[in-house]
Amino acid sequence: MANYYDVDDILMDEEFVPVVFHKAVNGVKIDESTDRGYVEQGSKAELPFWLARELHLRQAISMSVPACFNQKTRLEIQADAACVDLRSRCPYFYEFGCKLAPLCDKTIGLLLSYSFKIRYKEVLYKAHTVAFGAATKFLSFLTKEETNLYEAAQSSMAAFKKWRMGGPRLQRASILGRKRKATD
Amino acid sequence: MAGQSDSHLSLFSPEEVEFMAEDELVEIVPNLRMDSLNFICGDYGPFYPQIATQVPLWLAVALKKRGKCTIRPPQWMSIENLTRVLEGERDSHAFQPLPFHYVEISRLLFDHAREDIPDIYMVRSLIEDIRDVRFHKVETNLEKFTASTVTWKNMSAMEVNIIRAFSGRALQAFYKHENEHMMPDTDRTQDRQPQILNAPKRNLKPR
Repeated sequence: MANYYDVDDILMDEEFVPVVFHKAVNGVKIDESTDRGYVEQGSKAELPFWLARELHLRQAISMSVPACFNQKTRLEIQADAACVDLRSRCPYFYEFGCKLAPLCDKTIGLLLSYSFKIRYKEVLYKAHTVAFGAATKFLSFLTKEETNLYEAAQSSMAAFKKWRMGGPRLQRASILGRKRKATD
Repeated sequence: MAGQSDSHLSLFSPEEVEFMAEDELVEIVPNLRMDSLNFICGDYGPFYPQIATQVPLWLAVALKKRGKCTIRPPQWMSIENLTRVLEGERDSHAFQPLPFHYVEISRLLFDHAREDIPDIYMVRSLIEDIRDVRFHKVETNLEKFTASTVTWKNMSAMEVNIIRAFSGRALQAFYKHENEHMMPDTDRTQDRQPQILNAPKRNLKPR
């Protein structure tokens, strides 16, 4: 499912999740400010998702909902999903949510599909109508996935407009330029 | 099948769509005598002066450039037909039937055979209007779609091509999220559902 070589997938795994330790763990140090070389049972910490998932599967910790899916964000999304700055909360909001949902809170799935439905419409409007420069504020709210969508729509529309305007009909094959450079 | 211009996205550029449209047949009236031409895609001709014949658009354009023929504009490119189509597009929700490559064919004919088309300005503005109306319709349709079935009849090649990347990605995302919340145990999701979607709104005091 997840592509091993997908950079986005790797970056997404770096997102932090608040966890509570169920077991005391020796030989690890999570908090740099203490000298203790172990973690007590019941202590709280934030771990990157890749580590938290493995520990969770081994019943060593339990995850709680990270800040980007908390009640406050939910209320904001409910109020107007299109205006919520999701990028600053978590650039991989949807992907992260999908992975997190089965492990910690299954209602995240609903939140994701609800907010995607609303934000999708906004992306659609903006991508085909607004000029590129005018949408920068809106763009800075989008998550990675939404930005990809926006750019896909924008670039095919731009290509079509360019084609309609005309211009040079013949293009130099890229291989021709390369060959000449090599001999120089 | 994928375009050559963009290796990792497997998309067609408008130029590639135009290239495919050049295989559509048009009627020309040659003004030279020439034996039939045998191509891989078929045999065309023989050509006699003033005897109309069917050739692919690319051949018609090539002959036209050399002044060897006049191109007869296709049936659908008449003012009456286009006016009717435009009205139909404005009135109804569905797309009117037009040739699959109407955007590209009209563009090529306007570029290369402007003197062969009667009332070219009228025809051109009608086609532009039709295209705008249709694309607006495409956008309103896009707004509505979710992961359920999508049926749009009579969309043309260029219209499909413009939204191909966007709608593909969007449908994938919809599918992913729909399945995401179908998958977990249903009893829990169902009683949590109203909490997210229909939670009581804050009552703001009127000022």
